[in-house]
Amino acid sequence: MNQQQILPRPKHAITSEMMDKSFLADVIKMRGGQNVLDCIQCGVCAGSCHASWAMDFTPMQIVRMLHLGMKEKVLSSSTIWICASCYTCATRCPRGIDIPLLMSALKNMAIKEKFPAKIPVKPRFHKTFADIVQKYGRIHEPELFLKITNKTDFKGMMQNAKLGWTLLRKGKLKMKAPKVNKKDQWSTLFKNIAKEEGV
Amino acid sequence: MAKQEPKIGVYICRCGCDIEGNISATVDVEKVKEAAASINGVKVAEVYEYVCSNPGQQMIRDGIKEQGLNRIVVAACSPRMHLETFKRNVNQEGLNPYLLEIANIREQCSWIHDDKKLATFKAVDLVGRAVERARNLKPLEEKKVKVNRDALVIGGGIAGINASVELADKGYQVYLVEKGPSIGGHMAQLGKTFPTLDCSSCVITPKMVYVAQHPLIKIFSLSEVTKVDGSPGNFKITIKKRPRYVDASKCTACGECSKKCPVTAKSEFEVGLGSRKAIYQPFRQAVPSAYSIDKVNCLYFTKGVCKVCQKFCKANAVDFMQQEETVELNVGAIVVSTGYEVLDPQGVKQYSYGLNPDIVTHLQFERLLVQGLRRPSTGEQPKKIAFILCVGSRMNETAVENDYCEYCCNIGCMNAIKEAYVFQKEVPDAEPWVFYTDIRAHGKGYEEFYARLRNHGVRFIRGRAAEVMPYNGHLRVRAADTLLGMPIEEDFDMVVLSSGLVPSPGTDNVARMIGIHTGSDGFILERHHKLRPVDTQREGVYACGCALGPKDIRETITESMAVASQVATFLGKGEVPVSAEVAMVDEKKCNGCEECLKICPARAVEKIPSTFRTRMEINPMSCIGCGICVPICPTGAIDLNHSSEEQLMAQVRGVEMKEDVSPKIVAFIEKNTAYASADLAGQTRAHYGPNIRIISVPSTGRVGFKHLLQAFVAGADGVVFVEGEDSSFTGEKLREHVTRLKKDLQAVGVESLRLVSTTITIPQYPKLVDTFEVFTNRVSKIGPLSPKVRSEVGEKLKKLEAGESK
Repeated sequence: MNQQQILPRPKHAITSEMMDKSFLADVIKMRGGQNVLDCIQCGVCAGSCHASWAMDFTPMQIVRMLHLGMKEKVLSSSTIWICASCYTCATRCPRGIDIPLLMSALKNMAIKEKFPAKIPVKPRFHKTFADIVQKYGRIHEPELFLKITNKTDFKGMMQNAKLGWTLLRKGKLKMKAPKVNKKDQWSTLFKNIAKEEGV
Repeated sequence: MAKQEPKIGVYICRCGCDIEGNISATVDVEKVKEAAASINGVKVAEVYEYVCSNPGQQMIRDGIKEQGLNRIVVAACSPRMHLETFKRNVNQEGLNPYLLEIANIREQCSWIHDDKKLATFKAVDLVGRAVERARNLKPLEEKKVKVNRDALVIGGGIAGINASVELADKGYQVYLVEKGPSIGGHMAQLGKTFPTLDCSSCVITPKMVYVAQHPLIKIFSLSEVTKVDGSPGNFKITIKKRPRYVDASKCTACGECSKKCPVTAKSEFEVGLGSRKAIYQPFRQAVPSAYSIDKVNCLYFTKGVCKVCQKFCKANAVDFMQQEETVELNVGAIVVSTGYEVLDPQGVKQYSYGLNPDIVTHLQFERLLVQGLRRPSTGEQPKKIAFILCVGSRMNETAVENDYCEYCCNIGCMNAIKEAYVFQKEVPDAEPWVFYTDIRAHGKGYEEFYARLRNHGVRFIRGRAAEVMPYNGHLRVRAADTLLGMPIEEDFDMVVLSSGLVPSPGTDNVARMIGIHTGSDGFILERHHKLRPVDTQREGVYACGCALGPKDIRETITESMAVASQVATFLGKGEVPVSAEVAMVDEKKCNGCEECLKICPARAVEKIPSTFRTRMEINPMSCIGCGICVPICPTGAIDLNHSSEEQLMAQVRGVEMKEDVSPKIVAFIEKNTAYASADLAGQTRAHYGPNIRIISVPSTGRVGFKHLLQAFVAGADGVVFVEGEDSSFTGEKLREHVTRLKKDLQAVGVESLRLVSTTITIPQYPKLVDTFEVFTNRVSKIGPLSPKVRSEVGEKLKKLEAGESK
């Protein structure tokens, strides 16, 4: 009978169940991870970001969620996939946090922990990109383009056809596969990284 | 007296009645007494309930009087408790107070151990060690030196002005040195001050006039201090006085010369937003009220022609023949009030400062407000202004920009809010927007001022502006409203950057000249952040205002008053005591290598040039008695009073641990902070092993290779250095010292792991206990030092000592 009556918890409240205690430490420690505790939440990154309109959270909010250890929300956000790595935020950040690098670290973590990506094409894009680099030692745009688009949508491919044609005419798209010296060293490099990362 | 046969009296305190006593409960005092009495030279050994009580003191006095004792050892509580009491007591009987030694058998023994047998052993050891040290003690005299009652104030901003006024009103002669042509500093440039909105120059101008007319203040304008010699209380100052080319005593400041001068230059006072002539007065109310010629722009000095000003000067004050002067002064104390500069925001590239005239710093905007607010580009009245806060502030070392401050500028928020308010008053339909990171309204009346402005139509956007782009005659500011997580973009007529405050460019130089320290931020470092906020590391040198860190006017005034009070306390007594516990250089042994000069943290070492041989001398006024220079001296020419080589060696030799504790560890503990921390460990009854033997030293830098070897010969298996965190021997210095000792130890076959060092503050005593425990474990893992190595170490020590005696 002595139990005090309190109002029910708001449905959208942040609770300790949402906070993964080791998440922040893991992010700081991992390859490409940044000391996000340095962040003073000034908002320069959010104001600078040219892709923030498409994101569900601004980079600043992602960092804030990292502070609180909200793993679920961070790794399933679209922000980490939309980041174009233009480095505007990183050059302006007063605390020297390399946000694009942090985003790619979070991407890696999301893939490893099997979080579904909000932008499904992005993980495949990264994978294909890496595959092509491993194959030729350098990126080959036509192959990348074809591999990405024909698996997702034919319509998107048609939309980009005009741009492709312009690039081709200006000689920006090389149809021939690129060649680099000592290509065998590339595969060793990739193998070593894969071993280190435990992929 | 030193050659007199030492007659030692040992007085052991029970600190309570017999068995219940604080000491006698765990230490068998009778056994200690027996052991002490058997030591050679000990005449009297007594046990008493409370040696610190009147009958106890009487007992010591009787001993001196009746038995002719000339050395007293008191085995009782910490010297921090009753050293002064006992010193006074023996002095009453005519014994030099420096011939007294205290063995701390309470805080370092009875309170931290339970095992009565081991505690007794340790007490015997502690007393034995004190006796060894007492045998070698020498009488010392404390001297007093007369001080010069004049004071020097460097920097003529509001801090320097107010400190000078306060000091002069107290009756001290003050010399105020200012590098510019007028005193007044940044405060004279400001329009209104927050939060009361009173006029800044209306407040400071009367003060400036008061300074000019005060009989006890002498202003050196256009001057810089070039040399500081001497010691606290008796500094010798050299001042370089640049020529004004106008006789200040004749100049009536009529301004006729300035009207006729054909050269215009950018005005420093207007921060580049106005012009002045080559012969000028920075502002109308300047003090000294005289014009001066700017040599860089003047046609006569650049091209050799003109002299128009001379022709038109009715008072005949212009004098092109003036030469640079050197003035020498003797002062007792120095006040550093060198102030700040506004950080050049060009380093923060995204704000486009310097690319568009409408983007200004807060100081420039202040001048614009005083001039009558107009857009620098078009001359129209601006309607919409963005105030961007934290420009260049609160960054860290990994940020991309080159110029930045790590700290908060302290005044940016309130200043921008005030400027927004004044802007609203000046322009009827003004629209000020403030882009802030956090509003810090920490002073009296500041929060209320902020609240008032929020209700006054000032738009506050929480988000540091991302970029400023000049666009179609406007300035487009892009930011994020971080409270909503949405981007925000707006066009403005002007942008005001609240740029950070950095120490004025001469600060570092002045600090080096005087021998005081600057922090990592470049500002002068205070002696103690809380308790001695206006004292510097050097006695007799004080600092106030923005030289210590960015702050507002009210705080600056508070500090300048505090400084005046501190200087008056220091100079007012007319003399300063010189500690007897200082280092001395043996003239004959010194080879003038300057090692001591380099390492001295107090700049006490002075070079005595001589045609025959340069030698060093230590000024006892400046010496802080840390003893760092003693082991560093390659010829062994330096010794420290009251912790001399033979005293310390005797003390270390006394650590013959007869009882069976293992591993045996000697802890060299800095005598103030670290020792107090060890006392605290005792007071809280924290436990550490009886294998730890504490020796207090002025600083761990006092301990050289020889003492380490002696410790190992005396039976130690490991050595710990504990330094107080506030001492002058922490950080890099301590690390270097320990690394060097470790290397030397390895050369004689002692594992470098047998030496550790740590720094602590007083309340951190658990860390001390921890260090002892961890180190004990480590040394027991390594095992005791093998007898073979020990004998080798002994031989090495003998060789070292033999080499020295030669």
